[in-house]
Amino acid sequence: MSLSMTYEGVEKVFDPEGRNPVRALNSVSFTIEPGELFCLLGPSGCGKTTLLRCTAGLESITGGKIYYGERDVTTIPPFRRNIGMVFQSFALYPHMSVYENVAYGMRVRKVPEETIKTKVTEIMDLVGLPDVLKRNPSPTALSGGQKQRVAVARALVYDPEILLLDEPLANLDAKLRRRMRAEIRRIQKVTGITTIFVTHDQEEAMAIGDRLAVLRDGNVEQLGSSGELYHEPQNAFVANFIGKMNFFHGNVASAAGANRESPVRIGNELEIRPHSERIKLEGPLSPGQDVLVGARPENLSITNVSSAAGEAGGSGGGIVGRVNVIQNLGQITRYEVVVDDAYAIDALEVDMYAPVDGVTEGDEVAVQVNGEKALLFAPETVADTVAEEEEVS
Amino acid sequence: MAADSTRTQTESRIERLLQKDWTPYLIFALPLLFLVLFLFWPLATTVLRALSGPGFDIDLGNLSLENFNRFVTSPMYQRSLRNSFVVSISSVVFASLIGLPMGYFVARVKMPFKNLFLSIGILPIIMPSFIGAFSWVILLGRQGIIRHFLNQIFMPFGIVIPSIYGLWGIIFAMSLTYFPFVFLLSYGAFSAANPMLEEAAMMMGARRPRIMRTITLPLVIPSLGAGAILVFIRSMGNYGIPAILGGDQYVLPTLTYFRVTGFWDLNSAAAIAMVSVAITGAALLLQKYVISRREYETVSSSRSEQHLHTHWLARLIAVAYCTLVLIVAMLPNITIIIMSFFEQWRGLFPTGFTLENYLRIPRMVSSEIFNSLFLSITASFITAVLGCMVAYITERRRPKGAVILDLAVMAPFILPGIVVSVALLSAFSGDTVLPLGGTFMIILIAFVVRRTPYVFRSVVASLTQLDETLEESSMIMGANWLYTFRRVTLPLIMSGIIAGTILTFATLLQELSTTILLYSARTRTVPVRIFSAVQDGYFGQGAALSVMLLVTVFIVVYAMNRMLGRSISSSFKLG
Repeated sequence: MSLSMTYEGVEKVFDPEGRNPVRALNSVSFTIEPGELFCLLGPSGCGKTTLLRCTAGLESITGGKIYYGERDVTTIPPFRRNIGMVFQSFALYPHMSVYENVAYGMRVRKVPEETIKTKVTEIMDLVGLPDVLKRNPSPTALSGGQKQRVAVARALVYDPEILLLDEPLANLDAKLRRRMRAEIRRIQKVTGITTIFVTHDQEEAMAIGDRLAVLRDGNVEQLGSSGELYHEPQNAFVANFIGKMNFFHGNVASAAGANRESPVRIGNELEIRPHSERIKLEGPLSPGQDVLVGARPENLSITNVSSAAGEAGGSGGGIVGRVNVIQNLGQITRYEVVVDDAYAIDALEVDMYAPVDGVTEGDEVAVQVNGEKALLFAPETVADTVAEEEEVS
Repeated sequence: MAADSTRTQTESRIERLLQKDWTPYLIFALPLLFLVLFLFWPLATTVLRALSGPGFDIDLGNLSLENFNRFVTSPMYQRSLRNSFVVSISSVVFASLIGLPMGYFVARVKMPFKNLFLSIGILPIIMPSFIGAFSWVILLGRQGIIRHFLNQIFMPFGIVIPSIYGLWGIIFAMSLTYFPFVFLLSYGAFSAANPMLEEAAMMMGARRPRIMRTITLPLVIPSLGAGAILVFIRSMGNYGIPAILGGDQYVLPTLTYFRVTGFWDLNSAAAIAMVSVAITGAALLLQKYVISRREYETVSSSRSEQHLHTHWLARLIAVAYCTLVLIVAMLPNITIIIMSFFEQWRGLFPTGFTLENYLRIPRMVSSEIFNSLFLSITASFITAVLGCMVAYITERRRPKGAVILDLAVMAPFILPGIVVSVALLSAFSGDTVLPLGGTFMIILIAFVVRRTPYVFRSVVASLTQLDETLEESSMIMGANWLYTFRRVTLPLIMSGIIAGTILTFATLLQELSTTILLYSARTRTVPVRIFSAVQDGYFGQGAALSVMLLVTVFIVVYAMNRMLGRSISSSFKLG
């Protein structure tokens, strides 16, 4: 009996008549399937929380419509929408016991005391806190993880039609965060309630969501499963936001005609021929056109310049750079390689499954790109998105 | 197509209006109505009267500046204006000289009884200032015991200690009454300042005096400014002290009173009132522009401990200084307690021990006690409701007019008590639409208008600390605005409301400057009675009543702090 959720050209402008109107949402349209755990992902200020608050009715929208199932809820105030919400701060009432907190929504609905009791017990079992209910302390006495569970219980207990989670894990420490995101997914699957989960943490979003929407400046940039977003990002922003992406300045080779199979050169050293599905540019590639080449760290490799020159006579080539930092992460070894600005926007991150012999920090290395796995994007400034992401996390 | 879309747009607009929760807007109207009727309208009539020429009639056809002209032509007006400035500015200077070192000592020197100093340090502003003035008359008046004593010592050297009456007496009493504002605010700043800022200066090679001059003092300037402006506003509006100690020296409040009661010249009183409002308003603006711009972020590391001076000399000086100040500041209260048990006190010792002063109270002033309690309790209650509503509206709902409401509620903060009285008399005394002269009602209104800012601020403070998501989550769970307010907001801001209300009650019990123009034989309050007893020379009786008032006020404030678990000092920061 879970409901779908539909956004139809949703717009939100803050302070529309003021001197500095702020467009927070730009004709957002998509549908969330019944029972789906859906993640809204994006850097701070992208509009994800605004979208969630509009979904809840805490903010009114300035255009478009929002549907719960078939019902148009656009103008319905939050208290008539029958939704559950978990806030970042948990918003547990310090002046009520845990039991009263969880019972609140049912008291509002004038549910008989007997039913309240059964349902609170049930839900507290589901979130794994039967002991806490027995002691029934004030929520201020609970640990972060317990507060989180109580908040989830409180939002679910009165069988809402939609569950909204606003960065619910942001106030927990890293270890607890990992455990709770599995917990939330488990509880969501048990109840089967259509759920929207807002986060700025792409790892969290990928781990928890059935599907994700990446937002930027009030626009949905891409929508899909974690796999789709990781392997098939539609643009440089999404590519960079979901996992690490290295960007090179590329140039369509001039010898070829205007088609989608032209090779792309990075400087004079590298020539790559990406799979046509991985070209995220409109239309044919015209010779001389500037493009942005994206490659995941695992699709780059490095070779020791001195030894490579000796072995293969330099034909393997690659962009020459200097190793800045080497991080041994156990499973992989991560090399940060600084190359000339002409090649790449930022320092490159190269993940190797085994340390490269004889390479230490400060050494010169040659970087190769796995052309098959590389992506082509329209040129855009991606540097600022990187900075934003770091600032948030 | 286009017509169709406009129709759906209007439809959805209507739908939105119907769906909206209108209760808060209805509630919004109530305080607005109150403020229009009892603040805006009286102030408007005050302006009209001020421009109408002397007398009692509002003459719209013949507006003139004659009333203001007196500030140029009449030497008495000029002297009062000058006196007011001299008194207020000197009080600010002396209160700062007393309070600032004390704030520094208590915050930065390792010394015993810190909490005691903080608690007692607040007493001078809790206690009615006119009672303080009255005690100084006993101590330093013409027959004053300390003056008597000092003169016996210094007379042989040809030095005569002047009596307390006059400008210096007023300044003396006011500084000792209001220094706690500076003390508490600068104490707060000194103890909240980030110690790392001073450490950083030390690391860069600065020595203590330089750090003091370049880091420590500049950081407390905003707080010092806030304290100074409180002292200024209070001394500008104080009626009791200059009325008792002024002698033939008038200040603006006493001049206002004199114009009304002496000549029933309400119009020129209105003009004087406007001038005093202009002065306090200008001072407040000055503070806003000069000081507030230098507001620094000093709270970032409030957890880290201050380095306290531990040198024995520093500790000795600090304790000696604070003790001395507090003894001098508390002297009036001690004096008044002793006085209340005697008939007279004209020499070194009081004479004629008696309990008659107290025994007479039930017989003589029972109606005043009833009036005081009735007025204070009722007004506190109304103030609580009103202050709470306005605070909630301006803080949470933010409708378009909220700023006006906010300003209107805070306006009486700069209106001296006597100005509020003049405004209410302007609008409601004599032959008007709503004749309220001499009623309980007019005093109640004056109390409510004057004290709402305090509850308002107290509630706003609790509301800003209250996480808004607590209310939002209640809405999400299906509760409407009223349910949310009742079950979530109200219980969580209750302590703020109670604190503000009790404080209001305690200050209203001792209110003199508002009541003095508004009371009639039927509505006389305890402070008015004390005041007239002092003026008529019945010191014993006045003292007994004062002690009763002091004890009541002290118990109320103390009980509140106990109950709510805060320190007395924190509740008076706002004044």
